Amino acid sequence: MRQEPIDPAGIQWTRVSPSYAKVRMVGWAIGALITLLVLSVPLVLVLTGVWEGFPLWLAITAPAVVVAVEVIRLVLIPRQVAAIGYAEREDDLLVRHGLMFQKVLVVPYGRMQFVDVAVGPIDRMLGLCKVKLHTAAADATAEIPGLPVAEGTRLREQLAARGESRLAGL
Amino acid sequence: MTPGRALPVPGPGETDGQDTPAAPWHRVHPVSPLVRGWIAVVAIAFVYGQNTLSSFFGEEEPNPGPEFISRTPLMVSLLVGAGILLLILLGFFGTWWFTKYQITDRHVNVNTGMVFRQQRQARIDRVQSIDIAQPLVARIFGLAELRFDVADSGSAAMNLAFVKLSEAHQLRNEILARAAGLKSPAPPAPPLPAPPDAFPVAGAIPDPVAPQTPFLEAPASASASLAASERVVAVVPTGRLIGSLLLRPSTILMVLGIIGLGIAMSTIEGFAPFYLLPAFLGMAGALWNNLNTGYNFKAATSADGLRLSYGLLDTRHQTVPPGRVQAIKVTAPFFWRPLGWYRVAVNVAGIGGGAANDAEQRSVLLPVGSYEDVLAVLSVVLPAPGVAAPRDFFAAAINGSGPEGGFVVSPPRVRPLSPLAYKRQGYALTDTALVARNGALHRSIAIVPHARTQGLRLSQGPLARRFGVVDLSLATIAGPVVPLVHQLDVASGRELFLEQADRAAAARRQTDSNHWLGDA
Repeated sequence: MRQEPIDPAGIQWTRVSPSYAKVRMVGWAIGALITLLVLSVPLVLVLTGVWEGFPLWLAITAPAVVVAVEVIRLVLIPRQVAAIGYAEREDDLLVRHGLMFQKVLVVPYGRMQFVDVAVGPIDRMLGLCKVKLHTAAADATAEIPGLPVAEGTRLREQLAARGESRLAGL
Repeated sequence: MTPGRALPVPGPGETDGQDTPAAPWHRVHPVSPLVRGWIAVVAIAFVYGQNTLSSFFGEEEPNPGPEFISRTPLMVSLLVGAGILLLILLGFFGTWWFTKYQITDRHVNVNTGMVFRQQRQARIDRVQSIDIAQPLVARIFGLAELRFDVADSGSAAMNLAFVKLSEAHQLRNEILARAAGLKSPAPPAPPLPAPPDAFPVAGAIPDPVAPQTPFLEAPASASASLAASERVVAVVPTGRLIGSLLLRPSTILMVLGIIGLGIAMSTIEGFAPFYLLPAFLGMAGALWNNLNTGYNFKAATSADGLRLSYGLLDTRHQTVPPGRVQAIKVTAPFFWRPLGWYRVAVNVAGIGGGAANDAEQRSVLLPVGSYEDVLAVLSVVLPAPGVAAPRDFFAAAINGSGPEGGFVVSPPRVRPLSPLAYKRQGYALTDTALVARNGALHRSIAIVPHARTQGLRLSQGPLARRFGVVDLSLATIAGPVVPLVHQLDVASGRELFLEQADRAAAARRQTDSNHWLGDA
């Protein structure tokens, strides 16, 4: 996995499954379709002659911009998925994500309040799951999507065991 | 102390893992529902009485009621009124009768609800804060509300409204004694921890009201011997409070707005923007609210932790046990700086959540105070600051700039991004905490003890990447303190990130316990 400038030195990141990009693409497709449909309404109305007063150039520009933006987003999805990584250290879990806006989060096992494993319909088809580690602080919630189910289960057990052994109150 | 409320004494062989089964159940004070619901009762009585009387005397009706009321004879009206009153009283009686509480060695149990019953059990050693609040009406009756907060995001875990004031104090002491890890029957009260040498507190005023030597009392009950003596560390004089409120940007804006409107109304004919009145009333209300809650503010330290008391009409006594403070913020607002005034607020689990509407007020440790007051309060919530000379260190932290005091600040290349603050924004490490410094005009520092670090987040956007800087935010529980180290050099930010994670892990191993006196 490529090292970004903000990645702490000496961390070996584990990537999430590349097929998580497909999950993201399905979500992208639904969102893009709805946006496109809504913003195409003026164009349809103008073309069918219902709404004559609306400027034609604007009616064409809006869906065109949507298409351009959504294509860029689609192209970025595989790279964004490749930028998600996690690393287990002795006392804490590191999670990184983001290309343009990069974030690295470290959450100590001892601060863990509970672990979620979530599986959506597309996740299930591809054998993926999402592990979420919750702490008392809302902004220290580590989320690792796109894990193979076996790895997700292992991670959950691992986190629970380590959280137990390093248990700290609040 | 009535015999019925005496503490259950566990037998010698009893394990501490078991609750004493025989702990008695208590009810709150019988007039409680009335104290809570008096506004509704008065409103109903007023409207009803006015309608009835005016219809009876039959003159010009100032407030004509519904047809059926104005046509019914007085006798029927009175009967209906009595019926409504009876129903209300019955409801009050029911809520009172079905509200019961019990305090065992490890838990607080509260049963409430007439139709929808609720039984709640809260662990005493999870207490985050205990409040004794007295709204004005409750004060008239000599009653108080006891509130017990645990670290969930909702409202109080236990809300006993209302009990007698003395009883509330006693319950608080009992709960705190047990939360501290002392079993009943209690050993002699712990001596008050000596003020830390590191903090030479100038303004420590002994409080003559507080019991000074609990050793003299026979340890007949745990709570009596554990009414930990308190030492006042800071008070807010009324003059300073009013001054601080006048020097708030919102007050200044309001005054300027009124002056401006006055000039406009006197010069422009027919210009009378009465629609702005609610806005001004709202601002005045906020001002009054601050005055009401900041009045007679007193911060004291005791073996149970920090004690705050304040209030003009509604008073409140708040106890935050040691080790509950997750992060501390000291601010020096721009308009207060010439006067050398500061404000201290904290994040405490269970208080800071957005759900409670008084969260903001309850997380304030010092509404306005001098530097000495700030040090005195810090010495209580941060007993081990972890630096050799805290007085100089915190002076540098709050008002200094550049590397003095061991601060690492943003590199000079971020000047275009933060033209004023680039020399100030940065961080310093002590043995026990990380101090993040921000702001050039409105100055603030955030202190996060290593042992309380919930997580760290390093983030960088496109602009920050061009300047080679990162932001490091320290995760803490919800509250007014949002610790952020702004625009650090990438290399040092990366280093700090992992180092701080390791420091937090090391600190956690050493100090982590919910109990603060007894064995963990």
